[in-house]
Amino acid sequence: MAIADTDAARRAKLEQSLQGGSGIEVLTDVMSDWDDIPADHEPESYKNPVSTEDVVARITQLKPRILFVNLDLSIERECALLEALHRTCPETLVLLLTDKSVQEEQVIQALANGARGCLSHEADPFYFLKAVRVVDRGEIWVTRRMLGKIMDRVLH
Amino acid sequence: MILLASASQDDLCHWEQGVRTLSPIFCSTNLESLKVELARLKPSVLLLDYDLPQLNAPGGISALIKLHPEAKVIVLSHSLPDEAEWALFRTGVRGVCRRDIDGEQLQSVVTAVQRGELWIRRTLSWHLLNELVTITQERTKIKQAIGELLANLTQREYEIATLVGNGETNKQIARRLDITERTVKAHLTEVFRKLDIADRLKLALIVKGSIYPGDSSKMSH
Repeated sequence: MAIADTDAARRAKLEQSLQGGSGIEVLTDVMSDWDDIPADHEPESYKNPVSTEDVVARITQLKPRILFVNLDLSIERECALLEALHRTCPETLVLLLTDKSVQEEQVIQALANGARGCLSHEADPFYFLKAVRVVDRGEIWVTRRMLGKIMDRVLH
Repeated sequence: MILLASASQDDLCHWEQGVRTLSPIFCSTNLESLKVELARLKPSVLLLDYDLPQLNAPGGISALIKLHPEAKVIVLSHSLPDEAEWALFRTGVRGVCRRDIDGEQLQSVVTAVQRGELWIRRTLSWHLLNELVTITQERTKIKQAIGELLANLTQREYEIATLVGNGETNKQIARRLDITERTVKAHLTEVFRKLDIADRLKLALIVKGSIYPGDSSKMSH
């Protein structure tokens, strides 16, 4: 599995949460070639969002089964990325990482563009592993409340 | 108010014990009385036995929902094949669980559904997401196609088409644009020809992104 997030601290936390999972290999950052640079030495420009094409090209090359994508860019950009991934790398299943600033409607839009689940950065580490397992076997990882909203959208 | 419907007195008693602390409970033991009670009592939740005689799920459930669309329907059944269970959700059912569910658990299901949650097996939930993705892709395609077609209109034609989309009459459009009604009609004739449509209702739907020209079956949900 891979992580697409420009925030080094969040990446490190997620990696740590997933390390205990058997059969899981974390490919870590997939948004640049600078994986070997320690987090505190990352150049400022690194924190700028990279292009959708770059991320898709990298995912096509690495072919992770699960990709964590941080949902913090503009929603149009995120949806374009998700749609491109869904079309180009259908074998890669995307799990969204969100924080409190992300609105429910944005999550639904992201799911409508191919993401397979969503969980908070602040979730208990146990749930990161569980979400990976669930999504890996073809199911989705969202709250029942979100399922209710999606059903409303599908029916109306 | 919660309405329970089953021909089995044992099941009714069992379910009632589970949910009686949540709300006043009423029971129906056959389809005819259920229809009457559903329309009369307007319950917030209906706990419905999948095996209620003459129900004929899922079509029968769809008809019940139409009687009182605000009711959140939870179906209690024996183990169903995935496709049959998913078909229930497609009718608007908000939850499906086993008929022999523990009373305390049934209470949790009803509470969750009342909060707007969907009580669906995780192994079925991918159907839901796939439908959402398919609908979204279809809408995007329609929007793109409409965008391309509308791009063939002149600026004036587009302006008039948009005003028709807002529900304005030819007279109102003429007044707003300071042109004659005859000119509005002439522009609309050209718009209809370019979009290959015959009336202003279709034009309004196209401008609103609800249908694609030439395929009136693709009405949006």
